Amino acid sequence: MSDPAYPVTRHDYAGDAEELERLEAALEGGPKGAVAVSLIAVALLMIGWLGMYFLVFLPRGTVG
Amino acid sequence: MAINEQAILNSELRWAAVVGGIIAVIVSAVLYAAIAMHVNPPSNREYVDPKTLHLSAEFTEANLGTRIDPDGRVVARLIATQFEFVPNCIVLPTNREVTLRFATPDVIHGILVTGTNVNTMVVPGYVAQVHTQFTKTGDLLMPCHEYCGLGHTQMIATVKVVPPEQFRPDAEGRAACGDAR
Repeated sequence: MSDPAYPVTRHDYAGDAEELERLEAALEGGPKGAVAVSLIAVALLMIGWLGMYFLVFLPRGTVG
Repeated sequence: MAINEQAILNSELRWAAVVGGIIAVIVSAVLYAAIAMHVNPPSNREYVDPKTLHLSAEFTEANLGTRIDPDGRVVARLIATQFEFVPNCIVLPTNREVTLRFATPDVIHGILVTGTNVNTMVVPGYVAQVHTQFTKTGDLLMPCHEYCGLGHTQMIATVKVVPPEQFRPDAEGRAACGDAR
């Protein structure tokens, strides 16, 4: 089932050809912007996690 | 020119690899702490009758506080009750394996020792036990961290961590806060 608002292939696309060209140009190399934003967000999260783990948690000593 | 579905798929596969790598790093860090540094969640399943705690062999009033057990282990036993710890100060040596044992006759309490990873719940009917080794000296606060009633905020004890030479148990192996100088 294809929805004209969310085309799967160009044959499903109901918009005009010019808009389709712009869409194709934007997606040509993959979602680079989304990857960049995700990398920055996840990198900050991991820096925070590793910092808490190695600078706060482990120095507080053994427990069990 | 077609919408490059292969490029989108490749980016998702690369992102899956990144996430897989992050999970591997986190699991490795947790395993390293558990195996190499013996940092584990305190786990102890040991039952005690809260109604007769004061009559039990271990948690009678005379047996509370820090003591060197016959097998050489340093063990501190405390009762957590509304709204105090008994005793409200214990003394322990640095750089030596110590065991903290807690029980409660009333409601659920929780303890943590500030600046350390010592942290456990104290649940009626169970003995909460934590093994640890203190590396720094000082008077560490040990508050109740589980709301236990109106006096909860007053429920706080002190863990006095002293160098081994100042840890002087008496002939029976008991050490109290007043003994450490």
